[in-house]
Amino acid sequence: MSKILESLPLTIIAGVVLTVIMVIATNQIENANQSGVEKVISDIIK
Amino acid sequence: MEDFILFLVRYLHVICGVMWIGILWYFNFVQIPSMPKIPAEQKPAISKVIAPEALFWFRWGAAGTVLFGLILAQLTPGYTLHEAMTFQIPYIGFGMWMGLIMAFNVWVIIWPAQKIALGMVEADADAKAKAGRRAMLFSRTNTLLSIPMLFAMIAVQNPPGL
Repeated sequence: MSKILESLPLTIIAGVVLTVIMVIATNQIENANQSGVEKVISDIIK
Repeated sequence: MEDFILFLVRYLHVICGVMWIGILWYFNFVQIPSMPKIPAEQKPAISKVIAPEALFWFRWGAAGTVLFGLILAQLTPGYTLHEAMTFQIPYIGFGMWMGLIMAFNVWVIIWPAQKIALGMVEADADAKAKAGRRAMLFSRTNTLLSIPMLFAMIAVQNPPGL
């Protein structure tokens, strides 16, 4: 981990990777939180 | 009146956040990479004058961001502070937790380490070198976390549609 943090470009890449992981996790949480009716409406809107 | 208070708290939260993350990025994108290029006799201008002043606004910017952010989370219609922090609104939850970890790093690790590294408290050369490295690594950790944290904060107001 310290090898990544010693390099500014690698730190930025790690930040972008963490952002992608956060977006995926957010979508998973939002899907899990939706009720059945909300999910059907959400899928139709998409 | 409630709308204005909500606006004012959000405005102060953003102003403090710009102060904090702006100086964090100054340290990581400008000061740290430039230090090896500065002649030894000119280094005290950074370590004795600019860095201590920047650290003052840096740490109090962090404190203000957290203070106004917590008030904002409680005042914002649609969710409570508890709901935000338990990921019921995921983006604000991720953003808040990353911001809190970053503020913890500033006050508990980076600032005490910088006081040693910059000679503001008594320490030998070895302790100064170790403290300087510790401050740099945690400052870089905060730079890493600032990327998803800012994404999350913007995504709450402006969903990315991903």
